[in-house]
Amino acid sequence: MKIGLVLPSVPAYSETFFTSKIKGLQANGLEVVLFVNHFSSKTSLHCNVVSSPKFSKNKLKNSFISLHCFLKALFLGYASTRKLYLLDKKDNLSFAKRIKSIVINSHILTQKLDWLHFGFGTMAINRENVAEAIGAKMGVSFRGFDHYVYPLKNVGCYKILFSKKVKYHVLSEGMKSDLMNQLIPEENIIKITPAIDTNLFFNENSFENMPTFLTVARLHWIKGLDYILEAFSILNKRGFDFQYKIIGDGAEKERLQFLVHQLELNNKVHFLGKLEQDEVKQELLKTSYYIQYSHQEGFCNAVLEAQAMGKVCIVSDADGLIENVLDKKTGFVVPKRNPEALANKIEAVFNLNRDVKEFLIEKAVERIKSNFTFEKQINQFMDFYTK
Amino acid sequence: MKSKTIAIYSGEIPSTTFIERLIVGLCSTGSTIYLFGKQKKKISYAKNVQLVTYSNRFSKVVVLLKYAVLLSFFKPKEKHKLDQIITSQKGDKQIKKLKYYPVLYHKPDIFHLQWAKGVEDWLWVKEFGIKFVLSLRGTHISISPIGDAALKQKYQANFLKVDGFHGVSKAIIDEASIYEANLKNATVIYSGLDVEKLIFKPKTKINSELKILSIGRSHWVKGYAYALDAFSYLKQEGVDFHYTIVGLGNDEELLFQRNQLDLETVVTFCKSIPFNQIVDKIQNADILLLPSLEEGIANVVLEAMALGTLVISTDCGGMQEVVKDGENGYVVPVRSARAIADTILEVRKLTLADYNEMTKKARLTVEKQHSNKKMISDFNSFYDIVLNKELS
Repeated sequence: MKIGLVLPSVPAYSETFFTSKIKGLQANGLEVVLFVNHFSSKTSLHCNVVSSPKFSKNKLKNSFISLHCFLKALFLGYASTRKLYLLDKKDNLSFAKRIKSIVINSHILTQKLDWLHFGFGTMAINRENVAEAIGAKMGVSFRGFDHYVYPLKNVGCYKILFSKKVKYHVLSEGMKSDLMNQLIPEENIIKITPAIDTNLFFNENSFENMPTFLTVARLHWIKGLDYILEAFSILNKRGFDFQYKIIGDGAEKERLQFLVHQLELNNKVHFLGKLEQDEVKQELLKTSYYIQYSHQEGFCNAVLEAQAMGKVCIVSDADGLIENVLDKKTGFVVPKRNPEALANKIEAVFNLNRDVKEFLIEKAVERIKSNFTFEKQINQFMDFYTK
Repeated sequence: MKSKTIAIYSGEIPSTTFIERLIVGLCSTGSTIYLFGKQKKKISYAKNVQLVTYSNRFSKVVVLLKYAVLLSFFKPKEKHKLDQIITSQKGDKQIKKLKYYPVLYHKPDIFHLQWAKGVEDWLWVKEFGIKFVLSLRGTHISISPIGDAALKQKYQANFLKVDGFHGVSKAIIDEASIYEANLKNATVIYSGLDVEKLIFKPKTKINSELKILSIGRSHWVKGYAYALDAFSYLKQEGVDFHYTIVGLGNDEELLFQRNQLDLETVVTFCKSIPFNQIVDKIQNADILLLPSLEEGIANVVLEAMALGTLVISTDCGGMQEVVKDGENGYVVPVRSARAIADTILEVRKLTLADYNEMTKKARLTVEKQHSNKKMISDFNSFYDIVLNKELS
């Protein structure tokens, strides 16, 4: 079986979801081809990588590239190209858009695949008919951003997609339910939760109740880091002593550094930048508590890793996180966008009896080992493609 | 008294509203103004504004060649000295020549840099007898250096060499003093408005569906996220309101927050609009809300105060030098959605007479402290001090 995976770029080593999925599928005898917008030859993945057409600022050059792609699709994939054209026409795309569709998808139209799987929902936009055109089944993975954020600025972006025969991969029951509200049949929505490397992230030291806190997240507004800092400011004013570290980099760095400065938390909050997995693990070893207070999350691998390593997790009630952490069973859940509530929870949890926390950690570790391993995930993906 | 020649430099022509006001105001008092840099669009100025600009690749080549030739003929030694300075600086040498040659050739009395980040690039003017003054306006001082050690060092190394500092508020001068304790000729000159053209209209009613307005660009520093949280509280508490933010494009974060907090029917985002429409919007609003995390002094607040709309402002930057809590407006702590919500509730309880009493005081504040005439007069005095001239 040959699976075509459509992604923005070749997954980096640290993009464990995709690298583990690809390696897992290959280990099970499936062939994987990557279709990417940004080609890179540097990869440990042993699979074909096909780049989408590259356009420049020069209009004349683009005309030649477009002509080349169009002719390539026509001569090397006539049947698929014709089918794509007719399907796009049926969807009322203008003539110009139909031709553009052939050009931008020419690198896929010449392929023979059993499945064409879009790694992100947004990757499927303007490609809704390509799978059917090449005679492949269509899969789409939805992450939180695709579903909850992108459509706000791009209203109706999935209208065509939702009208097609697609098998959806989602990360949580919440997202499954949301897609069902779009009248997608339940049997076409498969929940496969993320997996982590439990050989790397495991509980190797006993819990020590130190006021040390950690978050691993891109510095992006959706991660709610400013609300966490506001909560720590409240705690600071109450005389609660702590150290809080943030691993990650991103566009919000200046904003967050200014916030730390304005809240006078420079001695207690530390930005560690982006770290490799091993370094993340070392920081997790040093911390007692892990906080993820996102406004929205698909699921969150970092929280799985923190639980696996025996850290007490305090998370927001963002979709995905409430299935990742079971409130008062494997961690603690706080209503989002409420720094006061978060501050109160942090303080209350810190003061909780040690036995309670150790019991909770034990349950969390067990749950991760049973439900969030690579082995389990790849079995679920094999079912996704074969059943 | 010989009139002054002043280069007002922001790098682009036209520049921001307050810089354009400065240019127009200064040349009306007899100074010759030089504008150097990139011209984004055609704009006409009075005769005593000299434009030395470029707009595209061709004009860049023309300007560079012209001034290279002029300097070679008329100021060869100074050109050579400047070339040595350019060589010692990092960055593209040709671009630096393009920017610097015209300034050296025309040699204004004062080079007035509008943005602090460029301080290291332009201090060379002092070596040629040109006085160098710097405006302290906003984020370049209050935010950028916080996480940028190299920028902090740049300020620490170079502020002591500057001949004069203009601060838009006392607060920003205090901030800049972190980098150099003795800022030479540090002078607060408040932004000026054409107050006469802003007609004060006392309110005849406060709307039962309270109309709250914010105006400003899409940037985290504007603090709109806190405003939306505040309006979420108010919605949950059953308060009738409509909140409009003018100046937002498709801000993903705020679109998401508005959606998540279920505020789509009570919060509107609009794109930027022309000034005459802004005046209407302000006068139709019950409250002008400034939830900013940092400001010099926000022009929109001055405009609202002049026009008769009550202002709620955070206590960021220099805002408390204009808005006095409970007297001519309201001041709330920065980053407190709850405080914004509570203050809006307070405004809701005001009688019309009390509301208009406060806005009248607001108008008087602006007339006294923020007239265009005063601003230009203050700038002329500032320049005279820097040039060590006696006031006439």
